[in-house]
Amino acid sequence: MRPALAAGIAALALAAAGCGGSGSLKSGSSGSAQKGGTITVLSAGDVDQIDPGQMYYSFSYEIGYATQRPLFAYKPDSVDTVPDLAVAKPVVSKDGKTFTVKLRRGVRFSPPVNRPVTSADVKYAIERGFASSVANGYVTTYFDDLVGAPKQATSGVPGIPGIQTPDKHTIVFKLKRPSGVFQGALGMLITAPVPPEYARQFDSKTTSDYGTHQVATGPYMIQNSSAGKLTGYQPGRRILLVRNPNWNPSTSWRPAFADQIVFREGFQDPTVLTRVILNGDADANGDTTPPPAELRSITGKPSEKDQLTFTLEGGARYISLNTAKPPFDNKFVRMAVAYALDRNALRLTRGGPIDGRIATHFIDPSFSDKGFVQAGGSGFDPFATPDHSGDLRKAREMLQKAGFANGKYSGPGLTQVADNTPPGSDTARVVASNLARIGMRVRTISVTHATMFTRFCNVPKQEPNICPNVGWIADFHEPQALLDATFNGKNIVPVNNSNWPQLNDPRINALMARAETIVDPQQRFAAWARIDQLVTKTAVAIPWLWETFPTLFSSNVTKVPELWNLGAPDVTFMEATG
Amino acid sequence: MTAYVVRRVLWGVALLLIVSFLTFAIFYLFPSADPTALRAGRSATPQLIAQIRHQLGLDKPFYDQYWIYVKGIVLHFDLGFSYQNDEAVRTQILSRLPATISLAAGAFAVWIAVGIPTGVISAIRPRTPLDRLSMGGALVAISAPVYWLGLVALFLFAKGTGKLQWFGGAGSYVPLTDDPGQWLSSLVLPWFVLAAAFAAFYARMTRANMIETMSEDYIRTARAKGLPERRVILRHALRGALTPILTIAGLDIGLLLGGAVLTETVFNIPGVGRFAYDSIINSDLPSIQGTVLFGAFFIILANLVVDVLYAVLDPRIRY
Repeated sequence: MRPALAAGIAALALAAAGCGGSGSLKSGSSGSAQKGGTITVLSAGDVDQIDPGQMYYSFSYEIGYATQRPLFAYKPDSVDTVPDLAVAKPVVSKDGKTFTVKLRRGVRFSPPVNRPVTSADVKYAIERGFASSVANGYVTTYFDDLVGAPKQATSGVPGIPGIQTPDKHTIVFKLKRPSGVFQGALGMLITAPVPPEYARQFDSKTTSDYGTHQVATGPYMIQNSSAGKLTGYQPGRRILLVRNPNWNPSTSWRPAFADQIVFREGFQDPTVLTRVILNGDADANGDTTPPPAELRSITGKPSEKDQLTFTLEGGARYISLNTAKPPFDNKFVRMAVAYALDRNALRLTRGGPIDGRIATHFIDPSFSDKGFVQAGGSGFDPFATPDHSGDLRKAREMLQKAGFANGKYSGPGLTQVADNTPPGSDTARVVASNLARIGMRVRTISVTHATMFTRFCNVPKQEPNICPNVGWIADFHEPQALLDATFNGKNIVPVNNSNWPQLNDPRINALMARAETIVDPQQRFAAWARIDQLVTKTAVAIPWLWETFPTLFSSNVTKVPELWNLGAPDVTFMEATG
Repeated sequence: MTAYVVRRVLWGVALLLIVSFLTFAIFYLFPSADPTALRAGRSATPQLIAQIRHQLGLDKPFYDQYWIYVKGIVLHFDLGFSYQNDEAVRTQILSRLPATISLAAGAFAVWIAVGIPTGVISAIRPRTPLDRLSMGGALVAISAPVYWLGLVALFLFAKGTGKLQWFGGAGSYVPLTDDPGQWLSSLVLPWFVLAAAFAAFYARMTRANMIETMSEDYIRTARAKGLPERRVILRHALRGALTPILTIAGLDIGLLLGGAVLTETVFNIPGVGRFAYDSIINSDLPSIQGTVLFGAFFIILANLVVDVLYAVLDPRIRY
């Protein structure tokens, strides 16, 4: 999920372990299910947003999925969505432009709203995402194909003709063109119902504060007052989930074992966080994972190693080269960089093999037969070097082709903007020293992670030659969600740009435009796999890590091997045993 | 005296204005994260960015933004609105103040209780093994970074992480009114960690001042009058030596009330310091400004109180 893999996340290679570890995953029907108790999750920071219509990053989804019911959701052991508020998968018309979804009956809002959920609530939830007071960050990416969807944020909540509610339990989405990703997007929290008669008073403000007055439909709700004001949310300190008295277990596949879930925030030191969990004083990590040294220690101890689970290798970290200005507007200079980089050294900056396999293209192994295999799997590596450690001879050949007669770069100095803290700063150092070997003098500007993105790498006008600390994880398992925002020329925007290399190749753009509308999954995956190969060959970005994410559980709870959402554990499946 | 206090208060207000202007200018002129981009989310259209910038008032010129900010503070004590937490900055700071006061007051008591007696003993027994041990220890305590010392304390003595699980660990803080026992347990380690460097510094300063004071004529006179040595040291020498220490103490306590960033972060104490840290991490400009201004306010206030107390403690000082 999400742009810009968070700094400091470490992970463990999964290949040998078998995807996801070996934890038990109990369903609501499990005979040994043990209800009650409190689950405590530790995190370093707070949610990115508390409003489900704005939530985006993995830690927020951990809370959003426990308290809200989008149309579709993920079970922990799968990377594919299953119906949640929906009864079944959407019925898609032959032309791929109409999606019909039936809603479950018997789902009710938590207090103070208390009434049953209807399709109008889902319609309103999506529509409010377009309002400037809510300003959801992804509706314009995944829902702009809806007939009548606004092209820009509106001053109030707009009515969208492409969302129709023929009855209280049916919602119909009409699209302007077929869409391969629309079904995946229905698993995002923007589709969780919001009661309009209650939320309008908050959404009508300049900045909506529905988030701090939200109502729930999931098994849990953030503790609130009788008027609906959240009392269980103390930003940066604690989020307290209690049972939603209106949740009907017969409508849900979530077991919801625990009586309450406490998210304790502010654990900035990952080693302390790890020790507290191992000691049993908390039950799992939230937005921060154990550091590599701790991971190595835990995996070396038979008594502790079973407390870890891992995600599939998902997303790629890469070095982005700015093609909008010299020298990286020259393909051969970029290719020289691809050959010069020591990807082993880069991986060591984040922990080494324990962190995942070296990436050779962008569709990652977690996509399996949804594009990874079709793109050549691990075997596709257009810039292969011995042991991934770089090949200076080939790099110099490329520089000669670029016009540097002696195979050494002799142009103006280059600039990169990087994190000012490890591991991002270490990665930048490796890039600078690797490129010095082919004559490139790289000046590093070190800033905070947020500044790096919002002032430099995400702003084309301010973008340096190199952004060494970027990466992307798909919002859901459709290759388009991985490649479109990052390499499609049409997505280059002046602010919050995610196409960091500013790749605007007409041929690739055209292939993407076509692939976006392919309804048949196999054809679609093959089309995107071809695009993945083409993008990789342009060397506009050099992938170097397919990363896995570990989750550490205490011995007081059942493990829930979470395969998606960066491993943030699904608290509705965790059972207190201690 | 009244005229002096009024003059100092006016200067204090002017200083706060200067601090607020500098903080505002630093974030406006130097590279820091763009709050609009953070709020707008991924793939936001330029129109959405412009709209949010307008909503947050960030499309106005620098001086307009600053004027609105200052007006809010002066007229309504409004420190702005946190983009990150969707909550007023003032509310957040005030809700975190009890934790910061608990930490600062306890640490202050520890460093005074340890630092001053250590300095006095070293001063009256100069160049003895006890003196060398005390001053050597002080050097170590001054040199040890709070962050490192905090982690060592956690891994040695804290529940959840320590070899000896004696005291509350990271994130164990609860308000005094909720559970006094837990409150005390959670603060013992932070108090000592925060107080360590201060106690060492105060011990060295007390020692130096005491040695100087002990050679003054009035000490010789006191001894000549036949006063017991204990009385000479405590009533005459120490009182004279404490005046400069009081100045520093006032500043230090003011500084800590603005938030002990490192200690609060290591021990996960939800005080103003950790709020400042979180705000920096999240590039939450109004919150950063609020915490800086708040810290400045306490330092200025402490300075004023100390200067007034000077006159009370030292009869030679008149304003």
